[in-house]
Amino acid sequence: MRIVIAEDAALFRAGLVRLLEDDGHTVCAAVADGGAMLSAAVEHRPDVVIADIRMPPTFTDEGLRAALELRRTHPDTSVLVLSQYIETRYAASLLHGSPAGVGYLLKERVADVAEFTDAVTRVAAGGTALDREVVSQLLAASHRTGGLDPLTPREREVLALMAEGRSNTGIAAALVLTLGTVEKHIASIFTKLDLPPSEGDNRRVLAVLRHLDA
Amino acid sequence: MGSKGPGSRSGPVNAVPRAPFGRRARRELAFCLLGLPFVVLNAFTVFFAVVLLLTLTGRQPWTVDDNPSPWTVLVAVSVVVLLTLLLVVSGGARRLGASCRWAVGFLLGEQVAAPPPPPGRSGRGRRGGGGLRAALGDGPSWRAVAYLFLKLPTALLEAYAALVFWGAGLVNLTYPFWWNSFRNHPDGTRLSPVPVVTPFDWSGAGHFQITTFPGTFAALGAGVGMLLAAPWVTRAVVAGDRWLIRNLLGPRPLAQRLTDLEHTRALAVDDAAARLRRLERDLHDGAQIRLATLALNLGMAKRKLGESGAVPHPDEARELVDAALQGAKDALSELRELARGIHPAVLDTGLADALATLVAGNAVPTELTADITVRPTPAIETIAYFCTAELLANATKHSGAGLIAIEVTQRAEVLVLRIADDGRGGADPARGSGLSGLKDRVAVVDGRLDITSPPGGPTRATVVLPLRA
Repeated sequence: MRIVIAEDAALFRAGLVRLLEDDGHTVCAAVADGGAMLSAAVEHRPDVVIADIRMPPTFTDEGLRAALELRRTHPDTSVLVLSQYIETRYAASLLHGSPAGVGYLLKERVADVAEFTDAVTRVAAGGTALDREVVSQLLAASHRTGGLDPLTPREREVLALMAEGRSNTGIAAALVLTLGTVEKHIASIFTKLDLPPSEGDNRRVLAVLRHLDA
Repeated sequence: MGSKGPGSRSGPVNAVPRAPFGRRARRELAFCLLGLPFVVLNAFTVFFAVVLLLTLTGRQPWTVDDNPSPWTVLVAVSVVVLLTLLLVVSGGARRLGASCRWAVGFLLGEQVAAPPPPPGRSGRGRRGGGGLRAALGDGPSWRAVAYLFLKLPTALLEAYAALVFWGAGLVNLTYPFWWNSFRNHPDGTRLSPVPVVTPFDWSGAGHFQITTFPGTFAALGAGVGMLLAAPWVTRAVVAGDRWLIRNLLGPRPLAQRLTDLEHTRALAVDDAAARLRRLERDLHDGAQIRLATLALNLGMAKRKLGESGAVPHPDEARELVDAALQGAKDALSELRELARGIHPAVLDTGLADALATLVAGNAVPTELTADITVRPTPAIETIAYFCTAELLANATKHSGAGLIAIEVTQRAEVLVLRIADDGRGGADPARGSGLSGLKDRVAVVDGRLDITSPPGGPTRATVVLPLRA
């Protein structure tokens, strides 16, 4: 996989480069601000861009705005946004339109190397990776309004992982279940929540998120 | 001062005959007499003096048909304006105000607080172009000028009270005693009547004139009446003057104080918000990212160690763990610095200890003298500490000084910090946002920061803080 990294903290940037190269990917460029990220992305046409949200010069949401701009001009380039905070508003603006090839993770998720590289691969392949913090915030909101009452605890776990953008295989691995059991749970969730049957992980994420957001 | 007013013990009936002999009456009389120079020294007199001088030359263009020309008036006005400006810029207005405050305090026992000193000046009078503008915008100076204008009618009234009621009153008492010594002419000599000065006829040219010895008793009666009235007249006149002094020469009126407080409150609120933002930024860019990197390194190291059994990449794992360890140490020291920046723990044991710790670690040799007997409130200690820290950092970084001296002393109700260095000077609060921020922070608790830093040095900063916020 060809990757462009935009992160202003030099040590963390170097660590990311090393981690991804160790995993067999190619880091085409590692830059430190949103503008450089855009030009590097245009120049190298990477499979995925990993961007920090807060970068110079404004130190606000530079990275997010650059990512949105990139998604607008090059919809086929996937973007994984990293941040030290979770803001549901940021998640919403990223997912606005299509969740295909979009990710939003807390920086500390890199510590789980396998899970992180899995998320990068998923996003690069056009999937979704939504931090479990975002999902749990959405779930909590839904829970308060009673929207998740029909679900069993296990089904809620499956729902959360689905919202994170995991595939059935991923969910099965995470919950140590068989693929069949996972599929059964998913079918039950869709029936209970009255969701339209969706083919493909992305549309499924969208359906789940729409339900949670409602 | 123990002058309670003449009637305070014996009731109002006794008060009237006693009043002229009271200590208070004497002091008020003295105060009225002290105002006499102001009858001569004031804008109107200066104006007329200039007009008169120019007119007396009798030349063009100063006179037209022996009358003052418009030019004369223009010059006279200019002289008055120039002198007024000079009075303001030189600080003379403030000094005159101070002498009036002194007089009212010394003679009448009314302590009028001095207005706050001009900003950015510490007595030496060194200032550049910005200083001139600051001097012209000095409110207390202009209010002193206003007082000097109003002092003319006030001083005239005071002179009237002192000279007519007291002076002429006393003179009137003497008529019966000298009458026979001077009026012992042979019968039939025509003598002009002797005029008697009264408050209604203070030039003595009016109708109260006496020609006979019994008439002198009428003058004596008038004198007694005038002397009995005199203390009350002077008191009334002096009360007006005191009101003017309080309002024009004292600290600014309440409304102004309110505006000041609103301003400093805004500063305090902004400052607090800015600090929190800075704190978040420091955490975000410091400890937080260090810990994320540490987690990343540990995650990679774990991977290099393999699932179980033999370690596939021991060297790389070791290197990553080393990096993680270093990261943990860095994050810790970063957090320690941050915590110290929020509140230095040593401050809990006192400002002197905290400053000693601060000074001990300084790159430029620094002498500290601390003499604090009463502990200021924690907020003041914190402000004093951070002010010193910032001024010390400035001196260390920018002044090129070889020695810095810090002195902390306590006077009555204030804490005074002095930081002096032997460096190259040139520190300007108007340019350095750090110094002006410091001024704002000090102003929030009604303190002040003065800096003199002429090019070439030395730099002296003085911070005065109240003991409690």
